[in-house]
Amino acid sequence: MPGQRYARRLNDLEQRFMALAESIPDSPEKEAISVLHGMIQEVWRSFSGSAPTGRAPSELTLEDIASLYKTAPEMRGEAICEPLPVGTPAPDFTLRDPNNEPVTLSDFRGRPVVLVFYPLDWSPTCSDQLSLYQAEISEFERFGAQILGISVDSIYCHGAWAAVRGLRFPLLADFEPKGEVARLYKVYREPDGFSERALYVVDPEGIIRYAHVSPRLDMIPDIYELYQVLSEITGLPAPAPTTVA
Amino acid sequence: MIGAPYQRRSPFGVVSSPAAAPVVVYGTRWCAATQMVRRFLDRLGIPYEYVDLDLDPAAARRVAWLTGGYVSHPTVSVAGEVLVEPTLGELEWALARAGLI
Repeated sequence: MPGQRYARRLNDLEQRFMALAESIPDSPEKEAISVLHGMIQEVWRSFSGSAPTGRAPSELTLEDIASLYKTAPEMRGEAICEPLPVGTPAPDFTLRDPNNEPVTLSDFRGRPVVLVFYPLDWSPTCSDQLSLYQAEISEFERFGAQILGISVDSIYCHGAWAAVRGLRFPLLADFEPKGEVARLYKVYREPDGFSERALYVVDPEGIIRYAHVSPRLDMIPDIYELYQVLSEITGLPAPAPTTVA
Repeated sequence: MIGAPYQRRSPFGVVSSPAAAPVVVYGTRWCAATQMVRRFLDRLGIPYEYVDLDLDPAAARRVAWLTGGYVSHPTVSVAGEVLVEPTLGELEWALARAGLI
């Protein structure tokens, strides 16, 4: 029976443990039980993790560098900008990619473009957001959509960051005049010197069809919502989540 | 992949397992890591229950209960194994151990 393929007993025990929570009044004892459960899970996780790599603990890997953002200073702040309105033409621009090649928005006419304005390379949230889009690249390709990342970092910074994180879509340097394109799209945060975390979807005719500024810098837009927009533009189905009630 | 409900005896009475997916993702819509995990499960075609911590305030208490007070997203339960902010590699390995892939 397919349902018995997984560790049914562990699953049962976990569900019983969960159900007991409400019947135990808040107390130090309840907290201790919870802490013990958390410890068991973490110990199990450490045992069942990946096999030893054979490298010396002091050896720095690309993975370590790619994970630097996890211990970097937090990036927080409420949104202070209002995006350009949906239904208006997307302002054209040309920016340089990490190979110093010019990239012009209007060259992508005929296909949707997702403009991803983000604060800074190497920073928290930005790292995860762009990795998500890289992991989803085949879905964007299915829609025929082009992703363009834009921040105030230089082409060299973009090149290093893209290489370390395995990002294969263009990262454009809004470097000099600093933030000019972000200003053009009304998403430049003057007090900070970098842009909001903002997403625009430009349709094949160059019209803005979706504009989203994250309410907080550490929030990213819902990818299912983004897919819905691309689905409406292209007429292709959006990928459905495999959630159950 | 979804087990049928069943009941069995235990020293604590009759215990019944709901016909829920053995994978539960606790997260938020605006969290990149949550979206990464959800899309990973979507692509594998693995059914999962998604609990939005913003929409279900009681869920945070449940996560705290499971993790010793550490409420973080995503927290993923794979057939009873609780993973706080797992890497996709860890998640894949947990799914494999549970026989779900």
